[in-house]
Amino acid sequence: MDLGALVACFASPACVVTQASSGLIVGLLLFLVAAGLTLIFGVLKIVNFAHGTFYMLGAYIAYSVLQATNSYGLAVLAAAAAMAVFGVAFERFLIARVYGGNVLMQLLICYAVVLIFDDLVKLIWGADFHAMGMPEAFQRAPIFIAGGVVPPFYAGLIVLSLCLAALLGLGLGFTRMGKIITAAAQNPQMVAALGINTTALFALVFGLGGGLAGLAGALAAPVRSLSPGMGFSILIESFIITVIGGMGSIAGALLTAIGYGLLRGFGTIGFPLFTDELIYAAMILVLLLRPSGLFGREIV
Amino acid sequence: MNGFWRDSGVALAALVLLLGAPLAFSSPAFEDFIIRLSALALFATSLNLLVGGSGMISFGHGLFYGFGAYAFALLMQRTTLSLASAVLLTLFLAALVALLVGAVCIRLKTIYFAFVTLAIQMLFYSVIISWVSLTGGDQGLQGGIPRRVIAGIDINQQGHLYQFCAVLLVAGLFAMRHITASPFGMTLRMIRDNEARAAFLGIPLWRPKLAIFVLAGVFAALGGILASLFVSGAYPEFADWPFSGQAIFAVMLGGIDSFLGPLAGSAILLALNDIFTRLTEYHGLVQGVVILLFALGLRRGVLDFLRVLPGRGEVASR
Amino acid sequence: MTKHDVKNNDKTKPGLGRRAVLATGVTGALAIPFLARGAGNVLRIGVPTVLSGPIALLGTSSRNALLLEADRINAAGGLAGRKIELVFEDGKAQPQETARVARELVNTGGCELLIDATPSSGAFAVQEVVRDLGVLCIHTCSETSSLTADPKLRAPTAFRCARQGVHDSIAGGAYLAQFANAHKFNKWATCSPDYAYGRDTTAQFLDFFRHFKPDIELVTQAWPKLGQPDFTEVITKLIQARPQALFTLLYAGDLSAFINQGNVYALFKAMTVCTPNVDYPVLSAIKNIPDGIQSGTRYFEEFPPLPANKAWSEAYRKRFGQYPTNWAWQNAAAMMFLEAAAKKAGTSDGKTLVAVLSGLTIDCPFGTNGKITMREDHTIIDYAIGWGRTIAKPPYIADIKPADWGQIIELETAWKKQLGYI
Repeated sequence: MDLGALVACFASPACVVTQASSGLIVGLLLFLVAAGLTLIFGVLKIVNFAHGTFYMLGAYIAYSVLQATNSYGLAVLAAAAAMAVFGVAFERFLIARVYGGNVLMQLLICYAVVLIFDDLVKLIWGADFHAMGMPEAFQRAPIFIAGGVVPPFYAGLIVLSLCLAALLGLGLGFTRMGKIITAAAQNPQMVAALGINTTALFALVFGLGGGLAGLAGALAAPVRSLSPGMGFSILIESFIITVIGGMGSIAGALLTAIGYGLLRGFGTIGFPLFTDELIYAAMILVLLLRPSGLFGREIV
Repeated sequence: MNGFWRDSGVALAALVLLLGAPLAFSSPAFEDFIIRLSALALFATSLNLLVGGSGMISFGHGLFYGFGAYAFALLMQRTTLSLASAVLLTLFLAALVALLVGAVCIRLKTIYFAFVTLAIQMLFYSVIISWVSLTGGDQGLQGGIPRRVIAGIDINQQGHLYQFCAVLLVAGLFAMRHITASPFGMTLRMIRDNEARAAFLGIPLWRPKLAIFVLAGVFAALGGILASLFVSGAYPEFADWPFSGQAIFAVMLGGIDSFLGPLAGSAILLALNDIFTRLTEYHGLVQGVVILLFALGLRRGVLDFLRVLPGRGEVASR
Repeated sequence: MTKHDVKNNDKTKPGLGRRAVLATGVTGALAIPFLARGAGNVLRIGVPTVLSGPIALLGTSSRNALLLEADRINAAGGLAGRKIELVFEDGKAQPQETARVARELVNTGGCELLIDATPSSGAFAVQEVVRDLGVLCIHTCSETSSLTADPKLRAPTAFRCARQGVHDSIAGGAYLAQFANAHKFNKWATCSPDYAYGRDTTAQFLDFFRHFKPDIELVTQAWPKLGQPDFTEVITKLIQARPQALFTLLYAGDLSAFINQGNVYALFKAMTVCTPNVDYPVLSAIKNIPDGIQSGTRYFEEFPPLPANKAWSEAYRKRFGQYPTNWAWQNAAAMMFLEAAAKKAGTSDGKTLVAVLSGLTIDCPFGTNGKITMREDHTIIDYAIGWGRTIAKPPYIADIKPADWGQIIELETAWKKQLGYI
């Protein structure tokens, strides 16, 4: 515990800007993963424990595409597109076969997919860790805001993620498909009763979730280490965020992810030793007091 | 009452078979297998008391397994308690913890119950990692479990440990079998199948739920004790998320509607793991494919599948 | 059980039917291919290791080095006339799996010796197995000092052929104290993984660092979590604390991510980073290694500057297409110890080798002076420890200064006395 340091940090604009931006970058990347997780749960009532695998594959695909084409933009698009297709295939060929079955059967399929792709990644890219390295376009000096440091790459990521969040919100709120998804998240029977093709809907939701997770992997690849099994810790973190924010709520995931990032950013200064325990305790409290999460609606 | 005597017979026969096996052929690997099986099977069957028997899906059952392993290993290392007292005290402590956790969790429904049990397990795991002075942190409890010979049982001798585990496995399974077959077990199944009806019949829902949660925790802790004896220590992995997953897998693989399903699932799981690990470093790939084939092909546990084979009529009734 | 119930729901009966019992029996029987494999004139050496998950590189590079040495020894006639056959098994970085695998290798795999290529948590589990079975075992990857230093944990037939935390702490403390004095760096920060290894070794390093340079000021300490993929908030915290130098124990993928993320914030311009852990995997993963990191040499083909060392690295690279790791040399050295001991004893019998290994000095390309000794307390000394600074182009680490082993052993002995080990 070092609350003195925390107070001192809040008194200094430089410290606030730096820690807040570093918290935002952690939180927003997690949001991209959590958004898919929460959507899938909202619409299909499935906890996609294979979601970390989408993130991992996105990062590896981006790594290879960048090596082949030397274009980071292309790498990011390819990763997102490939994972969207992968998400659809995963839903159609695997998950769709156990709808209506035991929740644990779905869990088992996710577990199998995690095992298989962790090993496939090792087979294709090797057991050692990789680093993509910073794309040349972003190898610039940091920006200074009120004395705080914000690297240009991270500034770009924050803007991009917030745009995506807005786009997602608008898309869900104002397009026909989006409204159907939102409705399905709240009342799946009703949507089916209205004669809407839920098969296509479910595949679409998985595609969207997969694409977002792949995108997050590609965006994280320049600064994080790539290794088989790298999706696991991301899965845990984004799972916590979805539960606290409310399974099914995009806004909940966004706000919780940002809150989580900021907690990490300032927690490392004020109470570095307890951040993990604090987050688990928060998750337990939320579940006990408001099982559907801070922003979610209770499922029946 | 008929069932009780038949179960007793089966248990006794199994025990005689297990204890007699080393006399017929001596294989340390077989003994190791049974020791590990006893730990996992008790853990998985106790989970199925919740999942299959009561419809309470817990993602965090590994908490009690890990707790049993740590509590027992610490008692043996830091006190002079005898083996039997350490086991009993560990089970008692596990019951207290399960009572506490259960009291908090059981009012949550379905998936939220699963989440909150998982969250509590994660909290427990991170406490094990952080509390280095007590638990040894990520490196686990080192230095082995002290050699104390009690009533002729020396658990550090492979043969004795084998007998110890075999007896506890059979006794534990028998006790759990007795629980599921009792009126109490039937009440739980009624709650599982139709909570509203059970409530209407005037059954207070929380009491049997809490009771079975505590019992399941105690048997999981017993599994943890055996696991800690096998590795002569305790490690945070015991209380980690993937380990709860192992038990879930064993339950699903064997069958949630058959009492011996989790036992069969545990045996298959361990055997597959051992064989694949020996054959290839890509065992995850092979294991994943097998799980997929099983999940998409059988869609239910092996024993459940056998029981509902077409043409066999109402095999399940007795 | 009432009839009513049976009819209402066919799921209500957890049946213990004959078929169920039978099925369990059959699956049980299938799971019992437990026949011990014979040995003959082949000497099987069992290697529990890690071949999956984030630290699979530990296992694959250990395996490479062992295969390289086994082939060389077999070509020269084997161990006391017996051909070596290595049996690798993945303990998945889980202690209970590692213990299981180690037992199985000996009990049914027909392995007479063990080379334990697992990290510390696995090594402590294997240690208990070795104590139980009384088999000769060489730990090749655990750097935790207590494994051999603590008499309570020591096993009579277990050896360690790997660098040791306390040695690295002393060597690092001595080197960095000189470095700090030369640059007048008094304000230091640390950043190490938040688990037992990270915390213990950081504390130990600081103890020895202060022993050599009492006037350092610790401005901040950061403890990123185990397996944390992102160090951003830790990096910004460090930069704001404005230390002159940073000591970090992050390693492998974590160190690589830390360097990449640190680059984004120009961390390496703000302070001098010191770590024992820049090695070939980190160097090959990072495109732009910053200049001027003070680093230890875990494995480095230019240090010790011996032709044998360079030749070994080239042979390894030629066969496996990648640079050797620290784990690779430790495993190679273990095989060299077995080779020398078998030659001296004229047998490959484990019990005899235990006696011969203790106190044995061998010629070895990884020794500071071309020799490494297996001390009487079953751990090695005189292996290469050097510190230098990174440069952006090959050979990537320059100005390497070898550690003073006399000083290391003197302080190690004092440390052991302080902890009551001797």
